[in-house]
Amino acid sequence: MNKNSQRVLGVVAAAALVLGSVALTTAQAATKSVTLVYQGPLTGTDAQTGQDELLGAKTAVQMYNDSNPAVKVTLITADDQGEGAVAGTVAPGVAANKNVIGLIGPAYSGASIASFPSYKATRLTMVSPSATRVTLTDAKSPDNGFPFFHRVVGNDALQGPAVVRWSIDGVSSPKVYVIDDQTPYGTGLAQAATAYIKKMKVNEVGSDSVVQKTSDYTATVAKIKNSKANVVIYTGYYPDGGALAKALNDSGWAGVFAGGDGVLNDAFIGVAGKAAAEGAKFTAPAVPFETAATDAQQVAFTKATGLKTAAGHVYVTETFNATNVFLSCIKLGKLTRAGIQQCVATGTFLALDGKTVLKFTRQGEVVGGAPVGGFQVVKGIIKYFGAV
Amino acid sequence: MNFSVVVSQFWPLLINGLALGFIYVLISLGYTMVYGVLRLINFANSEIFMVGTFATVIVSRNFFGFNQNTDPLHGFKLVYTLGACLLASMLVSGVTAVLVEIVAYRRLRAKGTNRLASLISAIGVSIILQEGVRILTHSVPMSNPRLLRKAYIFNIGSVGLRVDTLLVIFFAAILFFLVDRFVSKTLLGKAIRAVSMSEETSKLMGVNLNRVISATFLIGGMMTGAAAFLYETVYENTKYNVGFSIGLAAFTAAVLGGIGNLRGAFLGGLSLGLLEEFAAAILGTQWKSVTVFLVLVLVLLFKPNGLFGEAVQQTRV
Repeated sequence: MNKNSQRVLGVVAAAALVLGSVALTTAQAATKSVTLVYQGPLTGTDAQTGQDELLGAKTAVQMYNDSNPAVKVTLITADDQGEGAVAGTVAPGVAANKNVIGLIGPAYSGASIASFPSYKATRLTMVSPSATRVTLTDAKSPDNGFPFFHRVVGNDALQGPAVVRWSIDGVSSPKVYVIDDQTPYGTGLAQAATAYIKKMKVNEVGSDSVVQKTSDYTATVAKIKNSKANVVIYTGYYPDGGALAKALNDSGWAGVFAGGDGVLNDAFIGVAGKAAAEGAKFTAPAVPFETAATDAQQVAFTKATGLKTAAGHVYVTETFNATNVFLSCIKLGKLTRAGIQQCVATGTFLALDGKTVLKFTRQGEVVGGAPVGGFQVVKGIIKYFGAV
Repeated sequence: MNFSVVVSQFWPLLINGLALGFIYVLISLGYTMVYGVLRLINFANSEIFMVGTFATVIVSRNFFGFNQNTDPLHGFKLVYTLGACLLASMLVSGVTAVLVEIVAYRRLRAKGTNRLASLISAIGVSIILQEGVRILTHSVPMSNPRLLRKAYIFNIGSVGLRVDTLLVIFFAAILFFLVDRFVSKTLLGKAIRAVSMSEETSKLMGVNLNRVISATFLIGGMMTGAAAFLYETVYENTKYNVGFSIGLAAFTAAVLGGIGNLRGAFLGGLSLGLLEEFAAAILGTQWKSVTVFLVLVLVLLFKPNGLFGEAVQQTRV
């Protein structure tokens, strides 16, 4: 190649670069894009919950983008491992990302509390599909996320009584033992359950508080057996709940093992083993996606996730609903954090079933509350038994 | 406070406390033996335990093909399966411990660096091991298939005693006895004790320092691996950070008994296991750690060498 040829090639290459970048800019202008972020435990011991929730967010975004909107939505993720300590380090980065206009999550209460300072400071609106601790929306609590935090699920003030009702359902002379896992979620749900137990004069024969990631539950099991409890309510998450259920079963204890939405997960059966998991009861302010979704939504779910069904995956419906809150606002042309905040706070949104109306109170709760469902492990599969 | 639980559940609490204590004893050997010869805390010992638990799970799941739906084993098949898992855990943990010694300690020791450098180096290796396993397992816990049916083999009064907890006590006691005899009676054991008393004098007497230190790490690692196998037999779950709290407890046991002292580790481990179990039962599980560390602080205030540090000095490794 001589020098002239090299010059010509250089000019052509430069022209191509300029034209290419112009074309790219034009294309970007034609398909404007905004970003939503999902925050939850995508790795770590509670990863299954986050991975399940992400299915709902992906489905909603896929359906939205497939409808050829003027503004496309990009979904990104932030992994807080469900732990406040991790969330506290993840949230500043999410908050600083100016492309992000709304946050689906945080999934867990402790992670929410740790994230609030970053999101409040940068006015990032949150809609959680599963953080249920009462104080998150309590104006008197220092832990509240007002005015940026909202949730599409009922809080533990609703779930606490429900887990008590569902756990003692069908048990003659119930003697209840309540155990929390010392997390903000676990202690909050245990308080709500205990308050209801006292109110309804149910026989509570004992309580304990066992730190997360405990291996040895033998002392707790000894106390449960000593108390003659026939119902154990565990307010923590499934990795520890599964280990406790296994320890109880191994000790020969026969009774009802129950837990809240933190324990409701297919992985609970894997940790506890089939024998210990059988008959276990759970509650969750959640409706299984496969029972509420239309055919079109089921098809979209498969397209977005590659899975045939959402059965066995938790909070898919609620994450779909939380994502749709943002998508509805984007459809209305709200493309800034301020616009999204105003829209979420004042707007009215439709849930997955197309009938239920979601509107938030000033503190971020769903107006009129949300139903709490009852679940039970039957022949190795978690089955939904409707609102309890 | 709930003392009624001690009355009605005394035997299960005692047996479970002893089983937990014996697991602590075996892990604390890893700390105490290394401290004996190097005067350093091997912070990577908790990860040596962790890799041992994974060795048991991987052998039972991937080598033998057992899963959560497999029925527990019986007879000869049970013995050789448990034996293979035990051997795998001891080997993997032992070899890991030797590698830790070579990577984190030997070169620094040869260069004559201060103890702080070795300490940081060991913490670094510990973090590398833990994070490596976390990445490989995607942070997901792994369940160990039930190999041994958790049957009650005999009763004391109205309380049944379970085969897995009794296996832990019986087996760990034998292993401790063997290590104790090994250190007391064999030539290598005497060399280990000689190095623990005076490194310089041992060298002058012709002791191969590197060989003795590697052997110490190997034995300590193998005991930690045995503890990992016994832990999996009882609790049947592991994860990348499984070693943190149990390693801390075993280190506490070693300090409580008198670190650097084999029989101190034995008594410290058992004391800690029983203390944890009864404190959790009487005061509530939330008070378990508070009670344990309160006792540790009080003991160290009055006996800085640990409960049995001076009384059985002659058994020092």
